Amino acid sequence: MAATEPKGHGHHAGMWVFPDASAMSQDVSAKTLSMPKPFTLALMVTGALFILGIVGFIGRAATDGFDEMAPWGYYMAIFSWIFMISSAAPLAAVAFRFTKSHWRRPLSRVAELFAVVGILNLLMFIPMMFLLPGLGNPGGVVEGQLELRRTIWFEGPIGAPHAWDVLAVASLAVTSMVILLLSAMPDMAESRGTATGFRGWVYNRIAGGWYGTKRQWNAQKAGLALLGAFYFMMIIFVHFVISSEYAQSLIPGWKDSIFPVIYSVTSIQMGLGTCLIVLFIMRRWGGYEGYVGKSTFWSASKVMLGVTLLWAYHLFAFFITFWYGRLEVEQNIIKYLIVESYGIIFLLNLVFSFIAPFVLLIWNPVRRSAWGPALAGLFAIFGGLMFSIRIFVGSANAAKGDEIYAFFLEHVPAPAYPDVWDVFMVIGGIGAAAFVYLASTKLFPLLSLWEVKEGTLYQKWRKFIRGEYLVLGKPE
Amino acid sequence: MAKAPILGLFETADNAADAGDALKAAGVPQTDYDFLTDTPYPEGAFGERHEGHRLYIFPFVGALIGLTVGVMLTSMTSMAYPLVQGGKPIMSLPPMAVVTYESTMLTAIIFTIIGIIFESRLPAFKQGLYDTRITEGYIGVLANVEEDQLTSTQTLLTQAGAIDVVRNSGGPGA
Repeated sequence: MAATEPKGHGHHAGMWVFPDASAMSQDVSAKTLSMPKPFTLALMVTGALFILGIVGFIGRAATDGFDEMAPWGYYMAIFSWIFMISSAAPLAAVAFRFTKSHWRRPLSRVAELFAVVGILNLLMFIPMMFLLPGLGNPGGVVEGQLELRRTIWFEGPIGAPHAWDVLAVASLAVTSMVILLLSAMPDMAESRGTATGFRGWVYNRIAGGWYGTKRQWNAQKAGLALLGAFYFMMIIFVHFVISSEYAQSLIPGWKDSIFPVIYSVTSIQMGLGTCLIVLFIMRRWGGYEGYVGKSTFWSASKVMLGVTLLWAYHLFAFFITFWYGRLEVEQNIIKYLIVESYGIIFLLNLVFSFIAPFVLLIWNPVRRSAWGPALAGLFAIFGGLMFSIRIFVGSANAAKGDEIYAFFLEHVPAPAYPDVWDVFMVIGGIGAAAFVYLASTKLFPLLSLWEVKEGTLYQKWRKFIRGEYLVLGKPE
Repeated sequence: MAKAPILGLFETADNAADAGDALKAAGVPQTDYDFLTDTPYPEGAFGERHEGHRLYIFPFVGALIGLTVGVMLTSMTSMAYPLVQGGKPIMSLPPMAVVTYESTMLTAIIFTIIGIIFESRLPAFKQGLYDTRITEGYIGVLANVEEDQLTSTQTLLTQAGAIDVVRNSGGPGA
């Protein structure tokens, strides 16, 4: 183990770890190369689920084709669920790097690796392009004007909506991938001489010219900062595009400025939650306990608690406006998505996105543990799944055919229950995302070596009067 | 006479900084030596020169191009297909903002990526002088000196506390 015993007093026992920088590369490299039985089993199970998902997709396509959106509601839901996690997780690395938090160091690579899942997401988005109806109703002209769907594209600039949607999702995936490669470059350079096969080929292509000169570190630091800023600016925009394009614009008359924010907040909660689950697994069963102190969970749990409260606030803000406004369309939307048609799903969404994580995370001893924030993360991703099903299955099935161009939702549609292909696609989608992530951990080290090593320069355990405490250096 | 690289390996950052001081005192220009590390050290930790970069120019230029393209695309589309929507003017800023924002971000990101590649001097096609012990926490002091100064530089690095000095042809340049 390339680490000393965890440090801390009383309530903070085991809070901080001080890895041995000199043995870190070898140790983590060995962990990256190893294929323990549970890992192989997880890879096989998720791989099998991935195949099940492909079967479900083919079954759905063969049964219903791509002309109607309604049969693809569950596909949209699982796309959205994976997208929300894979897009927001890298934000955890970006945001806490901005704030120069030392506790984020073991979390960075775990978060950045979701960029690889983003590529899967991009592929999953292709069929959704075919499903999205055009802006104008080809069969409807009202008072000499073409009847348009209410979208963010208004008059419809060239390429809208399809080309701009693809560009948005692709640019987010590419940016997160570049952030991952730029961040992993120094770590890949360490192993470029010893890595063989595909891994060796990738390391030498990407990190062949990395020597760790001052210029390179400066460019990497500035590059990560700039791309991080752009990523932050893009993710909010792409969340806005997806949530308005595949949810609001498909339910006639749904006009709500708060919904894209709920979408982003749910996504951030799920992204951070998933990172904490992965960190917990790494620490508990992956042999990384010497690198991941409880301080990471403790600090991240406070952010998690804040985001959970934000979720509740935005949900209430959305609900109260519609409930008090009492327009027919607003009442129908509330009945459809919250109270009646998808009432049970909404209840599960509320319990797992807010009540359960909130009740768990208000306790300081739970926040200071490793399992508490990870469990809250598990709740959040289940709640997010319910959110995606409620919103995207609901949106895909709200209006059929030309009804989508109507001014408002005149009735409360019935809920759409999943058939066997839907079940396959949802389970398969979860399996596919897990499979891709697990596979990527064999290519990229799960720990950002250069960042954790940098942390050892600035974090020391020193005596002060009668006790020993963590001393932090802040060079900037 | 051609310059050749020489790499001194140091166990501690203090010794590496001493080597930097010694090279400076021996008249080796600061642009001809560099510190190779497995993790970023704080600015000035080795007494090294300030390494500036112009990375910030790239996204700025990219954003300007994207902004121009976005504005032109949306305004020209509006003029080519003058559809009145909700009684709003044909050329109105809010609808233009969505596409313009996306095109601006897109080109800014692309130019940033190009800038990172350029500023990092990547890809480096020539195999450089490097030692894998740097990945274990050793600090490399890489100097490019005249070939007839290699022996004296080696002595200088050893005197500063280098545990090993590596010499061969090629190198990443300092």
